Amino acid sequence: MSKQKLVIILLLLLTVQATSVFAVQRFPKPEFETGYIQPETQVPSPRTEILAVMDVVVLLLSLSVISWIVLKKRSRNGVFLMSVFSLIYFGFYREGCICAIGSIQNITLALFDYNYILPLTVIAFFIIPLVFTLFFGRTFCAGVCPFGAMQDMVAFRPQKLGSRLNAILGMVPYIYLGLAVLYAATGTDFIICRYDPFVGIFRFNASFSMFVFAGILLLSGIFIARPYCRFLCPYGVLLNWVSRFSRRHITITPAECIQCRLCEDSCPYDAIDFPVTSRNPESRQVMVRKLMLICTLIPFLIVAGGWTGIRLHETLAGVNGKVKLARQLLDPATLRIQSEPFEITAYKSSGKSQMQVNEEASVMLKRFYTGGWILGGFIGLMFGVVIAGRMLNIWRTDYVPNKGTCLSCTRCVDYCPVKSDLSKVNT
Amino acid sequence: MKQKIFVIAALILLLCLILFMTRDLFFSHSENKPNPYEYDLKALKSADTTQSLYTEDRQIHTRLAEIHGVATDAADNIYIAGNGGVEIYSRDGVFLKKFSIKGTARCITVDVKDNIYLGMEDHVEIWNGSGKLITQWTSPGEESIITSIAVTDTWVFLADAGRKVVYRCDLSGKMIDRIGEKDPENKIPGFIVPSPYFDLGIAPDGSLWVVNPGRHEFEKYTFDGRLVSTWGEANMTMEGFCGCCNPSHFAFLHDGSFVTSEKGIERIKIYTSGGKFNSIVALSASFEEGTKGLDLAVDSRDRVIVLDPVKLMVRIFVKKK
Repeated sequence: MSKQKLVIILLLLLTVQATSVFAVQRFPKPEFETGYIQPETQVPSPRTEILAVMDVVVLLLSLSVISWIVLKKRSRNGVFLMSVFSLIYFGFYREGCICAIGSIQNITLALFDYNYILPLTVIAFFIIPLVFTLFFGRTFCAGVCPFGAMQDMVAFRPQKLGSRLNAILGMVPYIYLGLAVLYAATGTDFIICRYDPFVGIFRFNASFSMFVFAGILLLSGIFIARPYCRFLCPYGVLLNWVSRFSRRHITITPAECIQCRLCEDSCPYDAIDFPVTSRNPESRQVMVRKLMLICTLIPFLIVAGGWTGIRLHETLAGVNGKVKLARQLLDPATLRIQSEPFEITAYKSSGKSQMQVNEEASVMLKRFYTGGWILGGFIGLMFGVVIAGRMLNIWRTDYVPNKGTCLSCTRCVDYCPVKSDLSKVNT
Repeated sequence: MKQKIFVIAALILLLCLILFMTRDLFFSHSENKPNPYEYDLKALKSADTTQSLYTEDRQIHTRLAEIHGVATDAADNIYIAGNGGVEIYSRDGVFLKKFSIKGTARCITVDVKDNIYLGMEDHVEIWNGSGKLITQWTSPGEESIITSIAVTDTWVFLADAGRKVVYRCDLSGKMIDRIGEKDPENKIPGFIVPSPYFDLGIAPDGSLWVVNPGRHEFEKYTFDGRLVSTWGEANMTMEGFCGCCNPSHFAFLHDGSFVTSEKGIERIKIYTSGGKFNSIVALSASFEEGTKGLDLAVDSRDRVIVLDPVKLMVRIFVKKK
């Protein structure tokens, strides 16, 4: 049975869990008038320490194995098998939590809220993939991240999007990361978890909307490989930055590139940089003009982004529960509607005065004012960097994986006819 | 070209996702959203009223402070049992008689000789029509709660919600058999009775039917306790039974159709003798919210007689003309 057929069957089996979408709670509660005492609601105890340590050990081992497979063995089958393992262990067994992607929020909240207790496992899941990336490139994305593994398995007909479209869509993760950090820092929400497309699948309890969300991602993932990783994943942004400084990174060819161009279309993620053969493709005057433009553009974009962020800070703050409640209390329309929003019901039972609610909202708005400025500035900066990257031509002689965007999946390796010994070239 | 179309479609889907996230995060206001944690059954209580083939004909207000059971006799007189007494009304709702009892009767049945069988919590009492206690049977056990009685020419069947079993007794009250206890060998699942509502009845063809409320099923047994057949489906639609344990009561029309009543979502429905949903008698709107114990009886004219323990009355539903 081919790999594709196997994956299709697995996906069909996964859809069985859609039945949980229609599950309903039984009512009313049984009365048990016959002496039966209804047990109290049990809260599941946290994962035992030894299992938490085991998760970190498995993460370390997985990263070590995948890095060895990618860099030493250069084996696509090995990467695929590791992906299956990670999908089962970190996905279905660990139910997608804690994941490195979501850990950004825990780390951020811990930095801004000293009362928040940050488990060591979370720190480990945040830092270890970054450390491995610093040494070996994005091997975490290649075969350890269960999100990536799931999408990688459905990338049956990946198509190239073109550099412009990649650059435009590639801005979304920066915005998502900025928002996730802002909302975590203000204690508003963990939006990465809120819009986590696959955790519901791993836990077999996806809500209808999230099931559709995941379904659309997987469906579009057939033609646009790993859409979440490339155009949404906020942790991917950090990995992208770190990977650019990676000490050892996968190469397409194990020896010298023979410019055969066979690998040109091999990457489903558009992550291969083509050779720039001319050392000085542009005149000095043009280059100076470009440099001046970049030096002007980036500060301008930072300021413009910051200004926009300030203008939007009230909209951004609207997501915060305290601000939302204050707005509802001040809105006369709230009094007119028949069914009281549950936030208002909760507020009434809390015993807080409206003045207190307004004060809390005011403090929060100030935080969003600052946060909006920083968020806008950050997005402006990223826009500037992306534009600058497109304006500058970096001289290179070979076809090389882009160290930032390459997910180390090793697909391109199979296209290269060169063996480690240059004398052996597949014909 | 074909691939390009797919890519464009995939891109559009991706953009839709991003738009969905943006909208959900910034522009979805909860002002008009219902409380997602609220225990709200309104949507389930509404139904297509064109399926309702019955209309309420009359109401009989009882003088008892607490009522639990209703039954009819061969002359269509209506018997209401409750705490401290039994009342008898004519078929037109004219008060005929009342007699006092000690304690609370949870269920009532009248046999062909007009003997009145009362399920008095853990034991059975038999009274005659003039209010004289004929006999009192011994209790099957301390934890027994007798919630339904059915009488044939030779046997009396008792549903015991406390012990989750049906007893077959002779007319003197001697227990002959226990029916419906879990028996995997004979494929008897056992009764699941989480609440003290556990009904049984003798169909016009003489067969014994028992509700298994936790399984949302009717189970047909032979008199010696062999499970013959079952019907019933647990689902939230009008066709099924829902909640922790339903139906709570039932009675038979003369063609063998089942009249059922439920709690949680208060509704009275009719199913064919084969267990297929047929029509609605009354919906939640006819009852106070949280009404439980809608005991049922059917008279010789197939009028559906419903005990409403909250409004303290018996309500008679007749088929629309």
